[in-house]
Amino acid sequence: MGILGLSKLIADIAPHALKEMEIKNYFGRKIAIDASMSLYQFLIAVRSEGAQLTSVDGETTSHLMGTFYRTIRLVENGIKPVYVFDGKPPDLKAHQLNKRAEKRDEAEKELQKATEAGDQASIEKFNRRLVKVTRQHGEEARELLKLMGVPVVEAPCEAEAQCAALVKAGKVYGVATEDMDALTFGASVLLRHLTFSEARKMPVQEFHLDVVLKGLELERNEFIDLCILLGCDYCGSIRGIGPKRAIELIRQHHSLEQILNNIDTNKYPPPDNWDYKNARRLFLEPEVADPNTIELKWTDPDEEGLVKFLCGDRQFNEDRVRNGAKKLQKARSGTTQGRLDGFFKVLSTTPNPKRKAEEEKKNSTKKAKTGGRGRGRGPK
Amino acid sequence: MFEARLLRSSIFKKVLEAIKDLLTQATFDCDDNGIQLQAMDNSHVALVSLTLRADGFDKYRCDRNISMGMNLGSMSKILKCAGDKDTLTMKAQDNADTVTFVFESPNQEKVSDYEMKLMNLDLEHLGIPETEYSCTIRLPSAEFARICRDLSQFGESMVISCTKEGVKFSATGDIGSANVKLAQTASIDKEEEAVVIEMDEPVTLTFACQYLNYFTKATSLSPQVQLSMSADVPLVVEYRIQDIGHIRYYLAPKIEEDDN
Repeated sequence: MGILGLSKLIADIAPHALKEMEIKNYFGRKIAIDASMSLYQFLIAVRSEGAQLTSVDGETTSHLMGTFYRTIRLVENGIKPVYVFDGKPPDLKAHQLNKRAEKRDEAEKELQKATEAGDQASIEKFNRRLVKVTRQHGEEARELLKLMGVPVVEAPCEAEAQCAALVKAGKVYGVATEDMDALTFGASVLLRHLTFSEARKMPVQEFHLDVVLKGLELERNEFIDLCILLGCDYCGSIRGIGPKRAIELIRQHHSLEQILNNIDTNKYPPPDNWDYKNARRLFLEPEVADPNTIELKWTDPDEEGLVKFLCGDRQFNEDRVRNGAKKLQKARSGTTQGRLDGFFKVLSTTPNPKRKAEEEKKNSTKKAKTGGRGRGRGPK
Repeated sequence: MFEARLLRSSIFKKVLEAIKDLLTQATFDCDDNGIQLQAMDNSHVALVSLTLRADGFDKYRCDRNISMGMNLGSMSKILKCAGDKDTLTMKAQDNADTVTFVFESPNQEKVSDYEMKLMNLDLEHLGIPETEYSCTIRLPSAEFARICRDLSQFGESMVISCTKEGVKFSATGDIGSANVKLAQTASIDKEEEAVVIEMDEPVTLTFACQYLNYFTKATSLSPQVQLSMSADVPLVVEYRIQDIGHIRYYLAPKIEEDDN
């Protein structure tokens, strides 16, 4: 899922690109949410005593619970969410999807074993691995969001790509997802942990693409190649090349073509029929709906509709649903706090000169270290 | 070498009290002309701009421009250690990573010094456009603090509307509503107690009480406060600090929800 190890790489090499924010700092912002990602989160996380919440006839309702309450939490914080749903997966992803299906089969077998052995912990573990967002989950979530007055966008293909397009067009401030691909697709602002439960007290992580690129000292094309090299959903990567090596290679050779020409392909064999060119094209020109034709409209929640949809068979507590609807309504009325960003422009953000000097020092010591190999590792 | 000395530490203590609730950390930019601080709060709703001129200090020396990132919580702890009548000296070497505060008692019998680590902060310089404001209101700072405190009991936001009759502060909430009207003072006996309104066009804007209450922490710095307003631009709340400079707060207004 996403790009393998990219967030760690960014945290290591370009720590400035990662900012930790509180959710309340996003008031007034429009934010595109990768719906399948968050539905998956809810299916995993929203549980009672390890089992998913269900309606009277055993249909899962965890995703609805999550969508309802966490969306309300966003709205209460003044955020205007837009949910973006996946369309058909790109052909290149088939391989990845097959792999996931295989893993799921495996987990199923393990689950059977665990059930026979009566091992509760393993049953729960493999149960979670079997979680899959189905078409029906999506349909129900769409219906719920419509009743809540939250706009829904249908992506023709990958949701992250559509989210990125919305950000680039200035329709929304950022993309909320856990997958780092959104950056590879060119979203200028990526937010992680936004839809996490309040109880976990996780700060929202904010990544800015331009700061990431600057910190990694890469151009956008090089960054895409780096992501492919790290491992993305659309093609394989070279065995034996980890994040450290990947960034070194990209910085040195600037493109995958050059890297392939320069490394020892016997030692680091690229995957057979490595289709990195198409993966790259997919990141650069993903199939998305033109963001300018998409109209985002937030409307009043339909309280009676929500009660009808969630209570009854789906066993939601009517009082809490009505309460939620009131919160949505309340957030719609009234005024929003403006920001100064619009009035005052940041003229320059210079990192502290002292820190710059320190960084230079660090780099030069690093060089010295690689130069004097075999001298034993110095203290960190 | 940077060195700045104030005969009375209380000014600096008050300045810090006036900003530390709004900002957790900030960069003090020091040059020949004095000390400047400019920073937005975390949510980018308010901005603090502080100027302390070199000539307002008892002694001021700044050989090379220096930017010192400080944790305001730690700084406030240190300043609490100073007596109000103590002399305060702030010192730093060029390219130092610490700053030293020296407090001397009036009779020179007690000298204490505190060293604080500096922080590496990104320097964000914001361009504040020159604005002609439609309304400027000068009023006693204690009066303004009182109004903000009183009205914040009624609602989260406060409407300030300025017309030629005077200025009206109002708030509405669950328990009811509150209105405070101030008219221009007819005859000015004491300048410090006067309410003076200069107005080209009437303006009505809505602001979050919480932030205004942060601003009024500066009340002890100045007997008067000046509010400047124009439609759709941030409010400016200015406290002049006698003989040495000023502290200005900018606050983004609340805006009516639009449906797009």
